Amino acid sequence: MIEVRNLTKKFEIVTAVDNISFEIAESEIFGFLGPNGAGKTTTIRMLSTLISPTSGKIIVDGKDPQKDGGYIRSIVGLLTETPGMYEKISGYDNLDYYSSFYNVSDKKRKDNIKKYLKMFDLWDRKDDLAGTYSKGMKQKLALARALIHEPRILFLDEPTAGLDPESAHMVRNFIENLQKEKTTVFLCTHNLEEASSLSDRVCIIKKKIIKIASLTELQNDKKSKKVEIVFKDNARKYMKILRQIKEITDIEAQDNKINISLKNAEIINPVVIKSLVDSGAEILYFNEIKASLEEIYLDLIRKEEK
Amino acid sequence: MKNAAIIFKKEIKEVIKNKNIWMPILIITVIFSIGMPLAITIGSNAILKDSDTINFINKVFGYTDDPMRVLIGFTIKQFLILLLMIPAMVPSLIAPASIIMEKESNTLEPLLATPIKTSELMLGKSLTALVPAFAISTINFILLAAVVDITSYIKLGFVPLPTIEWAVVAFVLSPIISFIITIISIIISSKSTDIRSAQGIGSVIIIPIYAIIGFQIAGFFLMNIVYLLLGCLVLILICPLLLKLCAKIFDRENVLTKWKMK
Repeated sequence: MIEVRNLTKKFEIVTAVDNISFEIAESEIFGFLGPNGAGKTTTIRMLSTLISPTSGKIIVDGKDPQKDGGYIRSIVGLLTETPGMYEKISGYDNLDYYSSFYNVSDKKRKDNIKKYLKMFDLWDRKDDLAGTYSKGMKQKLALARALIHEPRILFLDEPTAGLDPESAHMVRNFIENLQKEKTTVFLCTHNLEEASSLSDRVCIIKKKIIKIASLTELQNDKKSKKVEIVFKDNARKYMKILRQIKEITDIEAQDNKINISLKNAEIINPVVIKSLVDSGAEILYFNEIKASLEEIYLDLIRKEEK
Repeated sequence: MKNAAIIFKKEIKEVIKNKNIWMPILIITVIFSIGMPLAITIGSNAILKDSDTINFINKVFGYTDDPMRVLIGFTIKQFLILLLMIPAMVPSLIAPASIIMEKESNTLEPLLATPIKTSELMLGKSLTALVPAFAISTINFILLAAVVDITSYIKLGFVPLPTIEWAVVAFVLSPIISFIITIISIIISSKSTDIRSAQGIGSVIIIPIYAIIGFQIAGFFLMNIVYLLLGCLVLILICPLLLKLCAKIFDRENVLTKWKMK
């Protein structure tokens, strides 16, 4: 659905995006992660035809943004990082205004306005001026605006920022459901838990791409694995045995549990289990603790900074 | 065109609701299109009893048997030029806010992300300033003609308006001035970093119009049909250049990415 090849964007002497390439399939949720100033917003602006690349190529739904900007804008929805609304007109009129620019019948447009205002619990306030809405309500209205023409590609920049936990949960469920409707979602967020629960793949960027992979692939890529061992009795007495295994890089014990970090887990795990059993340990559980996206992200960003 | 009409429809509603735009226009209308012409026409007998006024008329227009007609004609010329402040002022109150307001309220980016073309956006924004400017100016020129004609007919027995000068000022010069001020205001709005500076610069661009008004009132020149047609021709020649400049300056990328860097 989206193809990006060697994309670079420079603003005078500042390189905002440096030679990035990726592909996004139809109905994929693509998490786009990176620190502030990493080039996320610039990439979204290039993909949604708002700005042109300095070099490189973009293809969106088989079209070139330079030649078919109007078509691409008609099939994408954009939620910006700081979404603004016309504060002196009602929430309903805001949606009515933006949706008028798309080639959608009046009936469909009105039905969609009603559908999304109801979905985001804004229907009762539809006639109130948007300026009177809370931050969370404005965020929901902006999300409704991005969806109002039922785009095939949705660019979401921090979609749950400013939302209360209940609304954020509802928005996340909604994004998840978009996949069923074959909508491709490009998700920029600093909320890594959200990114890991929603994204099929994530791209970690800091001007250049650091990594693109699914969460499982990222977890499997990690050289050092964490394992939790639960004993029948106090765990501290087994620390000495574990310290003798040089591939174990870190050990933490608490009550009847020991957490270890180790390299070459597939080879060393049997060694660990055998050593413990030989020393008379009664092991209740032996589990791999999967690294969170946050741990992986911080690890990759720190490595990049070095 | 459809998208330009959508923008115009939405924006004009906001303009109509904005008292800060209407109040100064209403005051100017009452003073310059109704009050002062009425006062001068009604008080023309008294004015012509003043020997200084008669001397002035004789000096400027040569000796005349009918100083009343000359005085009314002179007054009309003065008010026609004076009323040019309206086609200049109306767009200068509306257009400078057009783009910068969108930037400041973060509504420009989602708007540019719709299938709208840049030319449609510019047209919609321009019409929002131009249509009220043309409508209000026309109302004012017609009001001036009505007030002067009615009072002159009742009091003096003749109808001095319309004249060719009146028609050229009302229907040619006035729309051209509105157009030029609108385009310059939109350029300023696209390049400005905040709404106050846009409105500040917007109020400065109408100074040349005020200067022309001031020069005629001060007696440096007196408008006639030749001056008017020459003025219109020069201004018409400026219009395409301004449009080109506006199209060049209003580039999606520049407007979105450069304004915060200043």
